[in-house]
Amino acid sequence: MRAVAVVHLRGEVSDARHAKVLDALCRILPRVGVEARGTFACDLRGTTRLLGPPERVGARIVETLARARIAAAVGIAERPFAARVAAERAPAGDVVRIRPAEERSFLAVLPLLTLPMGEEQREELALLGIRDVGAFAELDRGAVLDRFGRAVAAAHALARGEDPGEVRGAPPRRRIVGKRAWDDAITEREQLVFALKSVLDPLATELERDGLAALRLEAKLEREDGPPLQVERLVLPPTANASALLRSLRWGLEERPDEVGRVLGVRVEVTEVEPSRGRQIGLFAADGANEEEAIAVARYLRSRLGPGAVMRAEVADADARLAEREARWEEAVS
Amino acid sequence: MAAAAALTDAIARLDVRYGARTVVTATTARDRADQRRFLTGTPFDRLSGGIEPGSVVALVGEGTCGKVTMALRAVAGAQRDGATALWVDGARSFDAVAAHRSGVDLHRVVVVRARTGAEVLLAAGAGLRSEGFRLVVVDLGPSFAQVASPDALRPVLAHARGSTSALVVVADAPAIRLSLPTFAFERVSWEDRHGRTVGWTFAVRKLGDPAEDRAVLREAV
Repeated sequence: MRAVAVVHLRGEVSDARHAKVLDALCRILPRVGVEARGTFACDLRGTTRLLGPPERVGARIVETLARARIAAAVGIAERPFAARVAAERAPAGDVVRIRPAEERSFLAVLPLLTLPMGEEQREELALLGIRDVGAFAELDRGAVLDRFGRAVAAAHALARGEDPGEVRGAPPRRRIVGKRAWDDAITEREQLVFALKSVLDPLATELERDGLAALRLEAKLEREDGPPLQVERLVLPPTANASALLRSLRWGLEERPDEVGRVLGVRVEVTEVEPSRGRQIGLFAADGANEEEAIAVARYLRSRLGPGAVMRAEVADADARLAEREARWEEAVS
Repeated sequence: MAAAAALTDAIARLDVRYGARTVVTATTARDRADQRRFLTGTPFDRLSGGIEPGSVVALVGEGTCGKVTMALRAVAGAQRDGATALWVDGARSFDAVAAHRSGVDLHRVVVVRARTGAEVLLAAGAGLRSEGFRLVVVDLGPSFAQVASPDALRPVLAHARGSTSALVVVADAPAIRLSLPTFAFERVSWEDRHGRTVGWTFAVRKLGDPAEDRAVLREAV
């Protein structure tokens, strides 16, 4: 039997609370997806024998979250959309189950506002006398697509219960962190970069082992003579290569020429990852043919030297009488 | 023969135990270096043996003696297998037409117009530390407008070693305190035809070469 439980949190949902709930749900159920911030869809297929009927699973989720003082409601239906609507409308602590045969009638009485579509389209439908989901679902599928386009057609599919209804799994964020502390403060930038390498090497190994590439890095330097210094880097292209990560941090430090001070410790966290993809360049191209690196250097130099300093030239007219008309110059990076 | 067979056997056993290519000969390393070396396609290659990534070469001489032309040829050589070059232009004298005539693909040259010695060091250091360039050329400009001396480049030399890029320094005068492989250029003659200058000939020699070997090159205008 196909069933989806949607968990909808009540009250303010901070990053920490969202991550905590996702973590708790992943411990209970095999496939958990994030619908929106504070809203999670759990695929209940194949869980009956082990965990009991869907209502019992829903009650267990509510209890688990209540123990952590998190108020939530659970909606259970065959499709995630109906389950989500049920969860959003249920009072905190309730588990509402919509049977497959009742899904369409449950949605039919709800206002059009329930469906994801623009205000303009909603007003146009209202002018046509269509004010609830049921009336909207009765419209011809082709006519909706022709008149309102794809976005409204997708909402129409939700109203008719024709959405694919798959739950896409979102594993909880795993913290990939490295730390080091030193007895004697590091004052030289080059020494610090060397020390950072010892932090980044295990991180890179961990990323490689899990088939991940770092997209964002955050380094926090604890300093003897000042508040902690935070360096955030966007790593493009995402990589699990320790040298590339180190280079990125080095540039981050170089952008703050006089701020490093006396560093006693460092904590580096990979805050965003992507699945690692193979890079064909480098397999066949010569060393020094890494175009993304060249662009990254050009971008860095432009940020340091200002506009008009990092350029590319092109021959405009090799036979021009005036030298300034021979070539055209443009910024190497925009 | 028996010793050679025993050696081959020992290497094969090491390879089985520790993985393929555990034991490599020095020739292999040299072959690898040869593959990475790039040439200018001129008699200069005979003197220099080509330019190897991770190395530093200085091209020195008075104005209009062929040193920038040779640096452009080196850029074209570095680009031959798809690489990009960084040209740190302290003199603001990068000539796109001359570069194009020397065979440089201008789309794969990033020109940094450095105004001070610090900016030259910043740009050259960033280029050498990255894996984005196969060649970094630092043109310090003519003596009257020179932004830095070759000696001032000492901080970036450490980055050049072990880098995937080679560093070519173009200057009017050689370094005094640093010991760099330096090639001195001098103009030999101008070539005129019907009262118009159509080319010039210049000579290059390696400073400190006991054989005093020289290469003479002709360049059309």
